[in-house]
Amino acid sequence: MGSILEFQEISKYFPGVKALDQVSFKAYSGEVLAFLGENGAGKSTLLKVLNGDYQPTSGKYLLDGVEKHFQSPHEAIEEGISIIYQERQILLELSVAENIYLGRMPVNRFGFIDTHRANEMAAQIIGDFGLPITPSTKVKNLSAAYQQMVEIMKAYSRENLKVICFDEPTASLSDAEIESLFKIIEKLKSEGKIIIYVSHRMDEIQRITDKVAIFKDGRYVDTVVTGAVPEAEMIRMMVGRDLGDIYKSLDRDKEIGDVLLEVKSVSSDYVKSNSFVLRRGEVLGFSGLVGAGRTELMRAIIGADSIRGGEIYLEGKRINNRSPKDAMDYGIVLVPEDRKLQGILANLSVSDNINISMLDVNSNKLQIVIKSKEAKLAKEGIEKFKIKTSSPDKKIVELSGGNQQKCIVARWISTNPKVLILDEPTKGIDVGAKSEFYQMICSFAKQGLGVILVSSELPEVIGLSDRIIVMKSKQIVAEVAKEDATESKLLSLGMIGEVQE
Amino acid sequence: MDTNKRRTLKISGDKIVLLAAIAAVFALFTMLNKNFLSVTNVINIMIAASLVGLVAIGHTYLIIAGQNDLSPGSLAAFSGVVAALLVSKGIPFGIAVILTIISGIFVGCLNSFMVNKIHLEAFIATLVTQSIIRGFAYIICGGKPVSISNKTFLILGKARILNIPLSVWIMVICIAIFGVILSKTKFGRSVYAIGGSMDAARLAGLSPKKIITTCYIMMGILCSVGGIIFAARMNSGQPAANVNLEFDAITAVILGGVSFAGGVGDMGGTILGIILIQSFNTGLTMVNVPSFWQYVAKGGLLLFALTTDYLRKQKREKDLLAASMKNL
Repeated sequence: MGSILEFQEISKYFPGVKALDQVSFKAYSGEVLAFLGENGAGKSTLLKVLNGDYQPTSGKYLLDGVEKHFQSPHEAIEEGISIIYQERQILLELSVAENIYLGRMPVNRFGFIDTHRANEMAAQIIGDFGLPITPSTKVKNLSAAYQQMVEIMKAYSRENLKVICFDEPTASLSDAEIESLFKIIEKLKSEGKIIIYVSHRMDEIQRITDKVAIFKDGRYVDTVVTGAVPEAEMIRMMVGRDLGDIYKSLDRDKEIGDVLLEVKSVSSDYVKSNSFVLRRGEVLGFSGLVGAGRTELMRAIIGADSIRGGEIYLEGKRINNRSPKDAMDYGIVLVPEDRKLQGILANLSVSDNINISMLDVNSNKLQIVIKSKEAKLAKEGIEKFKIKTSSPDKKIVELSGGNQQKCIVARWISTNPKVLILDEPTKGIDVGAKSEFYQMICSFAKQGLGVILVSSELPEVIGLSDRIIVMKSKQIVAEVAKEDATESKLLSLGMIGEVQE
Repeated sequence: MDTNKRRTLKISGDKIVLLAAIAAVFALFTMLNKNFLSVTNVINIMIAASLVGLVAIGHTYLIIAGQNDLSPGSLAAFSGVVAALLVSKGIPFGIAVILTIISGIFVGCLNSFMVNKIHLEAFIATLVTQSIIRGFAYIICGGKPVSISNKTFLILGKARILNIPLSVWIMVICIAIFGVILSKTKFGRSVYAIGGSMDAARLAGLSPKKIITTCYIMMGILCSVGGIIFAARMNSGQPAANVNLEFDAITAVILGGVSFAGGVGDMGGTILGIILIQSFNTGLTMVNVPSFWQYVAKGGLLLFALTTDYLRKQKREKDLLAASMKNL
């Protein structure tokens, strides 16, 4: 009674992004199939299409040869497809049993909920899983790992469970907890479920999965048998390009000048006290894990969050940024990480987006905005940064992610800044546009700007920065010179705060 | 370039639908009562529209900026009473007007304070003011209308230029001025920007809170001016007047293409929205629809406006997806 899950030419488009492009492959029961790919490769989107959270733009998926079209995750669960997310999807105030049987609690003959029976039924599953928890415990009193187990049991308790997907399940688990998760996965596998396992961790993929489906830029590349292909080869399939050449070809011949920006013990509600300096013509990389406090430190510097303590000096003069406007007036600008919500003004045109920070300069004494000035600036920005748009009056959301980002950069460069802060500037941007951004960053530094590059992509930070600061737990933990920077060193500093040989 | 041209056409497409709706309303009511299109009646529609029009200007700004205001009806009534009271105490009309407008500015400040500093939803914040200001309107006059005997004050309600009442002129001039501010100035641009994304606008160096405060203050002034003119027309300041004024104004603005999602719309649409709702309201009265049923009809019109808002938004998203696919 083996089941088969089949994707046929699934595509999913979002404005400016082809999140999935003609994805076709099959997954078989009794196998653990890994999804491997970079951030934005389409793994999570595919899961969301599968469970009805998203509707595919085109294509279809079949379970055991029958075409399915789920309108909501609930429908998918009813038909035996469950996804276990990184963030828990359970109700903390309810008990283990209540969570497992949420929405279908057993009732007695009067129609009242039969808690006793629910507990008995839950106890049986818990026994099957071999876990030391009681059905009546409130879920909020369980560790993250057991909460996850409750979710798995909730999926498992459905008689018709056929497909169970794990999206980065080990992100918040300890080693011992990972072991017990793997045992459960083995159990599910032996019972003939289709198991999909999304993870970035190579060692886990090697250990637990049977096959690896590799994704790249929204496209399905291939499925390989785990262990049959060397890791380096899989990574090459994931990236499919040698980034080394991009970095080597960059023009990094420049002069690093005197101190431009000095940050002294700056802290906010969101980040601990941090100090660093940035020199003219320098690209200063900020590395660290997501949530290490890099974005928060940058927001404190530009006055987006108010500073709790510390001082900021620009060209030796103390400055006080109470809002991003103050920072902009001093010449410190930020290209934010969340382009969609914090970068672009989605309702406005390319031209308006480029000009929005120049309203003061572009308007006359009567405050009337002079169209010709805006048109000129927009034209300059579009030409200088090679923004692909058929017209400056096109809505910015119609552009691809990379071109939207270029508009934000054009917006700031037109204000003639001294310090340019780029927070994950190449996130969700295609490869071609990435290398354009790298060239841009180098040319900004060459022109004498101080550039801060916050990036989670290690090759990017290493390939572009003159110096790299590593943050961990809302604090700077180390500074690494360009010559000494390796991926493993930065990762180790970011994860444990020290370098382990 | 061609996308650009197409977009202009599309916007006017929305306006054409609106014009057609206005034509349909005029045709329907003219059929039911042939006096509907008489000069007197058209002028009556304009007079009735003058107060709603002023308030709708304020709503155009606020809703584009992602805000709203439910207090205009109360504030207009309050302003009428304040102005009438001040004049009855012997204060010169000009000074009474200035003091009344200052009270409107104060209410605008109060609304923006609740939104900006206490982080209340605009709907709830202005619901608070709606009740408080209505209460004060009754309190300051003891619940009884304050009749106006000041000649200058009364002229405001009766004077006509080119046979068009002064109140209509004031509305038209205000719409023209505020229309230009919205479409041409730095401030207007900022309103659209913060309506699109407050966070992004702030990070781009704008000051959303200042812009929001300005919008609420503008609304306060417009309501006070409208309330004074209304009192002049009624020969008295009436604390119970202008209930549901904001309802008509919001309906007009949404009909005109301003989106509750913020960041979208223009003054041209609002003008058409005002004409549509006021001809609809006047028409209902003329064909003797009982006032109870008028409430139902108005609710239906707002529902219609909101549905078209929703459909337009869906269409925008669909067009966007289609357009963005071409660039990939």
